[in-house]
Amino acid sequence: MNEKVTLSARDLSAGYGSKVVLSDINFNLVEGQIISLIGPNGSGKSTLLKTLMGDLPPLKGSVSLIGRELGNLPRSEIAKVMAVMVTGNIRPEWMTCREMAASGRYPYTGLLGKLGKKDSEAVDEAMELTGTSDLASLYINEISDGQRQRVLLAKAICQEPRILILDEPTTFLDIRYKLEFLDILRVLAEKRRVTILMSLHELELVRLVSDRVICLKSGHVDADGGKEVLHDGYLRKLYNIGENEFSDYRII
Amino acid sequence: MRENKRIFTSFILLAVMLILLFALNVVNGSRTVTISDIPAVLMGSEGGTAYSIIWNIRLPRIMIAMILGGALAVSGFLLQTFFNNPIAGPFILGISSGSKLAVALVMIFSLGAGLHLGSFAMVLAAFAGAMAVTGFILAASQQVHRMSVLIICGVMVGYICSAITEIVVTFADDSNIVNLHNWSLGTFSGSTWSDVISAGSVVVLVVAAAFLLSKPIGAYQLGEAAAGSLGVNVLRLRIAVILLSSMLSAVVTAFAGPVSFVGVAVPHLIRNLMKTQRPIVMIPACFLGGAVFCLFSDLIARTLFAPTELSISTVTAVFGAPCVIWIMMTRNK
Repeated sequence: MNEKVTLSARDLSAGYGSKVVLSDINFNLVEGQIISLIGPNGSGKSTLLKTLMGDLPPLKGSVSLIGRELGNLPRSEIAKVMAVMVTGNIRPEWMTCREMAASGRYPYTGLLGKLGKKDSEAVDEAMELTGTSDLASLYINEISDGQRQRVLLAKAICQEPRILILDEPTTFLDIRYKLEFLDILRVLAEKRRVTILMSLHELELVRLVSDRVICLKSGHVDADGGKEVLHDGYLRKLYNIGENEFSDYRII
Repeated sequence: MRENKRIFTSFILLAVMLILLFALNVVNGSRTVTISDIPAVLMGSEGGTAYSIIWNIRLPRIMIAMILGGALAVSGFLLQTFFNNPIAGPFILGISSGSKLAVALVMIFSLGAGLHLGSFAMVLAAFAGAMAVTGFILAASQQVHRMSVLIICGVMVGYICSAITEIVVTFADDSNIVNLHNWSLGTFSGSTWSDVISAGSVVVLVVAAAFLLSKPIGAYQLGEAAAGSLGVNVLRLRIAVILLSSMLSAVVTAFAGPVSFVGVAVPHLIRNLMKTQRPIVMIPACFLGGAVFCLFSDLIARTLFAPTELSISTVTAVFGAPCVIWIMMTRNK
């Protein structure tokens, strides 16, 4: 394989203190791919993402970021390589969309955080790419959820990451916004060669956008492969839906 | 840039208000100083009553009101950022009252032992009291995540500390009890130039340190997780912010007693005036705004019922408490 590995997990166990949520996780993620993380509620998706982001120390095994062990990297170094889109509910009262996007330049600005010429250009570019340029001077709490998601994405892009992690980024968006959002991710993966790892609940979107699908079940990787894993039979098994249950519906 | 223009204009407005209130505070009082007295004062014709009133009483009092007002507003801003809650402030969270109790105890014991402790010891005692209450509030915030509960917790701790202070002050048998009583209600009166220098140097250092943390504080406003992913060492920042804000409110309490609501009202008014929450703007603007608010309040405290003086907290509460109501009404829409 001559594809560049950006993020990998080796024999990873993760959880909270003595509570092991995930174990024996192994994978290499490569640049330019969109990887979707799916699985039933409580299967450990969020725990895995938190561990990969460095918010949660691994219980066993290791996570490496561009060939370096995550635990040995200072936060400020990680921030230049990996961006995380957190869908928090914190909505600063008087912050413009441009300020929000520009906060992604944090790892690159000086002591007082003043934006240089290069920083401003990166912000403009990111807003352009996410279609949020028109929102620049609006306050973050006066725009719609869909617009806010795109501003948050612009912020992540401002970090110029090689890896972008998103936790259920499309929840709360209507179908048009979902598609627009995923389209931007596609561009990021293809043009900027970013590795994009996200957890998604909407299986039809997973099928539309993913290069690779990692399925978690009860704290283990249950399947890992291309879109072909997404067939009715397997998904019924993954989500514990019996063959005779809901037989009128197709899962996907 | 539309926003920057607004911020610039607001700074000018605050500066003009500060100068105006400064002048009004110099001129007004139990002995009115007229414009014609000013040259004599400036020339320093020693011995004149106007000279000594202005140089020894009014100017130090004005300076201390400005310094401590600024300190309170910055302290409030830091606490609001820390707790991600616009109603947080040193008085509401009971931090001022904790300082008050610690200072009252130290004062009474030292007076009882015939010691005269300097202002530095008072600041230290106030800081210890502030940290004790802050520690309690932090522990409570680990248990309960609802902000309203936290605030009520702080208010109650404040009441407890105030009640104990009252008891201690009532039973302290000392001629200084009158002073102690006045101080425990909050006042800028009786400030000297040496107070100005001690309080001023601490406040300037602490506010400068807070200003230098503008960048990580700004990231922290986006939430802990977001700040961490941008490269902020969140734990270290939280410790720094809580130490700085406690230090500021401790200095205020040590020199002027508890002063209510400035820490909540001023940052709120400034945010609405400037329509920003960038710490790099907010920290200096809050300092300036706090100075203006306290000069204004002290002017009223001194002159409204002259020669009787109101306690500073009485006046700041009248103007500050409605701000809290305003915040709550507009936030829970």
